[in-house]
Amino acid sequence: MADFVRVGEAGEVGEGDMAAYVVDDRTVAIANVGGTLYAFDDVCTHAACSLSEGDLDGTVVECPCHGSRFDVTSGEVVEGPAADPIDTFEVREDGGELQVSI
Amino acid sequence: MATFVVVGASLAGASAVAALREAGFDGRLVLVGEDPLPPYERPPLSKEYLRGEQPLEKGFVRPPEWYGEQGVEARFGTRARRVDVEDRAVVLEDGERLPYDAVLVTTGSRNRRLGLPGEDLPGVFDLRTVADCDRIREAASGARRVVLVGMGFIGAELAASFRQLGLEVTAVEFFGTVLERVLGPELGGVLEAIHRDHGVEMVFRDAAERFEGDGRFEAVRTREGRRLEGDLCVVGVGTEPVTDVLEGSGIATEGGVHVDARLRTSIPGVFAAGDVALHDHPVFGRIRVEHFDNAIKMGEAAGRAMLGAEDVFDDPHWFWSDQYDVNIQVAGVATSWDRVVIRGSLEERSFAAFLLQDGVLRSTVTVSWPRDARRSMPLIRARTRPDPEALADPEVDLRTLVPEGEG
Repeated sequence: MADFVRVGEAGEVGEGDMAAYVVDDRTVAIANVGGTLYAFDDVCTHAACSLSEGDLDGTVVECPCHGSRFDVTSGEVVEGPAADPIDTFEVREDGGELQVSI
Repeated sequence: MATFVVVGASLAGASAVAALREAGFDGRLVLVGEDPLPPYERPPLSKEYLRGEQPLEKGFVRPPEWYGEQGVEARFGTRARRVDVEDRAVVLEDGERLPYDAVLVTTGSRNRRLGLPGEDLPGVFDLRTVADCDRIREAASGARRVVLVGMGFIGAELAASFRQLGLEVTAVEFFGTVLERVLGPELGGVLEAIHRDHGVEMVFRDAAERFEGDGRFEAVRTREGRRLEGDLCVVGVGTEPVTDVLEGSGIATEGGVHVDARLRTSIPGVFAAGDVALHDHPVFGRIRVEHFDNAIKMGEAAGRAMLGAEDVFDDPHWFWSDQYDVNIQVAGVATSWDRVVIRGSLEERSFAAFLLQDGVLRSTVTVSWPRDARRSMPLIRARTRPDPEALADPEVDLRTLVPEGEG
């Protein structure tokens, strides 16, 4: 398990919102579902669109380009056209920082 | 034990059998399809698969072993001859009869042929199946120039893919611009400009008259007397529904298999879904659509209808097209509109266009403006008359415009 790295300030992703952060060579999306944060690969496995630019419906994120839906808690595909799951990561708020571990 | 037969191993057919098993149907379930492959998704055939970026298996609707695991009798590579509605049996090409308690027709559509001289020359193709795509890929490898007849969605996607593969592209289109029939001249013109910037040579208001070549395709001769030369040619000029299995059954098949809002034909126990279905849509009236998303949703709904569900199918329809790095989406159906409201910028080729008829939002077209097409779907379904100023304002979240209790 890699160390947590700071990507932003604690509290900057509001409830029901998503934001994307570049960590090393990947873009990680962070979603706030009812006060719980989830981090996942921002890049849709279908055609590489940015998932954080889509919509969040409960714990399901919908890709804006082709409508693939993923469960952000597990990364699993809820609905295609995507066939492969997205990676998920650990995320936390610590010492006033928003941090992820990839 | 009940037997359900699904005729057409398409995306709609596969979605229907999946929905049936999910809903707990444990009877005999047969899926019959002409294509030797298990059901696959067609969008990659003009894009990722054609360009060699995606393996065939990635396009399978379900893994090949799924059908056996689910107890689905897969009869791929088998053509159904007709549905005998008197005797309640599907008659296969070899004469075998599959008695059914309910049957779903998901036979899809076939490409319209022009019926022009030289259309059968080697090197003249059309695109529907994986086999078609493989033939085109083979012909395109080592080719320098391709001629496209038709600049609808298939032509436009092929133009983009061939340019991405480094081929020169010449296209001839009967209408005045790219996708004019679907998008109108103004929005179609934006796509035309995108293709022109990518080096596609386009001829409009002209049409193929014959295909020329000495034993192999060499050129398209047009009505206006042009000769468009190339190493291969792909024709994409629309489709017609494959209603053959229901001809003579008494079920209306003009323009598609007529089904009511609940996907039932006029004969009990016979259903249709997907490209082949001419559906009595509660919002749009009688329509037949050929969208990926509709094949899934209508297929699933038809599966449930076979089990007796009485839900009206009122999905507002949605599809996408990817051309170069441009994502295009269309929600809803508009055959005519009297007002277009733009959010974003036509000049910058990044916008959502809302098509209104008498103030009612009928369709949303987005170009490099993802998200708002799908967000507009509840508005279209509810036949709302959104405030045009709110539609034009990118700061307004479309989801806030949905009336209470809708969406």
